[in-house]
Amino acid sequence: MGKDGSLGFLTTRLEDFVNWGRKNSMWPLPFGTSCCGIEMMATLCSDYDMARFGAEAIRFSPRQSDLLIVAGIINLKMAPVLRTVYDQMSDPKWVMSFGACASSGGIFNVYSVLQGIDTMIPVDVYVPGCPPAPEGVIHALMRLQEKIAVRDTHSQKRIESLKKAAAQL
Amino acid sequence: MDVRKPIPTNGGDWLTRFGDAWKGQLSTLKEKFGAAIEETRFPGTDATDVPIVYVKRESIVEVLNFVKNEAGFEYGFLSDLTAIDWEESPRFEVVYNLYSMSKHWRIRFKVRVNDGEECPSAIAVWPGANWAEREVWDMFGIKFTGHPDLRRILMDERWIGHPLRKDYPLRGYQVFTNPEPAHPELLD
Repeated sequence: MGKDGSLGFLTTRLEDFVNWGRKNSMWPLPFGTSCCGIEMMATLCSDYDMARFGAEAIRFSPRQSDLLIVAGIINLKMAPVLRTVYDQMSDPKWVMSFGACASSGGIFNVYSVLQGIDTMIPVDVYVPGCPPAPEGVIHALMRLQEKIAVRDTHSQKRIESLKKAAAQL
Repeated sequence: MDVRKPIPTNGGDWLTRFGDAWKGQLSTLKEKFGAAIEETRFPGTDATDVPIVYVKRESIVEVLNFVKNEAGFEYGFLSDLTAIDWEESPRFEVVYNLYSMSKHWRIRFKVRVNDGEECPSAIAVWPGANWAEREVWDMFGIKFTGHPDLRRILMDERWIGHPLRKDYPLRGYQVFTNPEPAHPELLD
């Protein structure tokens, strides 16, 4: 309703409205395995305050979260655990690869380290740095929000292709 | 500066503080165990920071038990148990780093083990050797006779090979996506 008492209208597609809600209320699961986790905590705290983007409700259960922040090195022994955590999250879900180790293995090109989590799970947004600065994380979060708004994330694309396949049946 | 000569650490020059005691200990060990002591290295004359005693494989537990309890030795603390792969014959050295809580001196025992041979377990002397020996088994593939629970401690149970062996490829990744352990019966 306008200030002068006249009725206002908001016209949108329901799907866009839902995605608007999704992008502004992401619930992150912090998969912090090393020093990047400290930088992630700094981003969540008051100086940088990820709550401004609606992503302040940290949940340590994959069932309750939709943004998986993989912050740190993933060893080969941890890789199946990460895969399980990702599988346990309900759709739609997003993955942020936080820092050099999670994105590519970083400096650890050895027998015990996974060379990038994208060899194991689909990643929507990468944050470069060792560790990344909080500004970089916020930038990545905003890019992820843009991607969610235009339905360009792996999870949303998967849902849409499933819907198409179901319609053809 | 000769990089092979160690710099004295941990509160100054160990050789001036413990040199006489170490000399006495080495002569006592040689006297008591005779042929079981293969070789000794001493700081100052050799490139080492503490004395190194090479012991025959069969007598290592006996020697460790002796230096743990005997007055004048009192090496009560197993600081570390690890191994080295030299890629020659005998291939491995199992290393026991000992520390005395009461006297503050350190010593190092080494056992030469060939590929396929077993080293006696030190659990009877120090129960804390349990996990250290599991790590040596995991990383180097050296088996320990008498170990109650010798299975991998760091790598995945499905891992093939021992990654700290010099002939293991540096980038020999073995990626497992399935979280199911290969031997669930081995889990507690």
